[in-house]
Amino acid sequence: MTARPVAPPAGGLGWANLGMDIVSVNRVRRLLAQYGEKFFERMLTPGELDDCRTSGGLDVLSLCGRIAAKEAAFKTLRVRGRFLPWPDIVVRRSEGGWPLVELYGPAADMAAESGISEITVSISHDVDYAVAVAAPIIAPTPSAPTPFHSSSS
Amino acid sequence: MADGLQTVKNWILERHPEREDIAPDLDLIENRLIDSLSFVEFVFLLEQESGTAIQMETLEVDSIRTLGAIEQHFFKTPAEAQA
Repeated sequence: MTARPVAPPAGGLGWANLGMDIVSVNRVRRLLAQYGEKFFERMLTPGELDDCRTSGGLDVLSLCGRIAAKEAAFKTLRVRGRFLPWPDIVVRRSEGGWPLVELYGPAADMAAESGISEITVSISHDVDYAVAVAAPIIAPTPSAPTPFHSSSS
Repeated sequence: MADGLQTVKNWILERHPEREDIAPDLDLIENRLIDSLSFVEFVFLLEQESGTAIQMETLEVDSIRTLGAIEQHFFKTPAEAQA
């Protein structure tokens, strides 16, 4: 039996474990119809839900984008045997309209263990799907190598 | 098989019509039978069928990794679980 390949350890200058996720609008619409807004209170904080709200109620595309962003952000942490800590990866809309990721509790601990100081995320959606891609920002460490400079003489 | 566990199994099979059955030791996560989004719904179902409130924050992956583990953790009395 062939052994699985071993990924290099996360962290270090220039290293980024990208995360990506796609969420079906139909699927989320079904969950909203079947369980109501309460279902999403297990996944999104009150502030996140407010970001997804319009005068007509919860905007399903925004909801899908937010869920995809959380999953994408979680994937950058590359942890095994853990469920996505939904309320601890918070994706809020900044004043400029860009999504910003905030990490709390276990999610912040997992990021710290991987040398990740922040996660940046981008969300896009069309009629049927929302997608998100996330990239970690690696925290500088005292042991990090200095940038390469050519030694021209 | 307990009625509740059978309901859980049926719930998964309904969402994966390509499968005819699920072995008790089949890894539900490795085989993508439960993903992050369906996991939240799955917890709702488990709470309903087992009559137990579940804290998602403290739930261990191994306790729902297989139907066997689900039976052990959610559908057995404490005495049965120890036996």
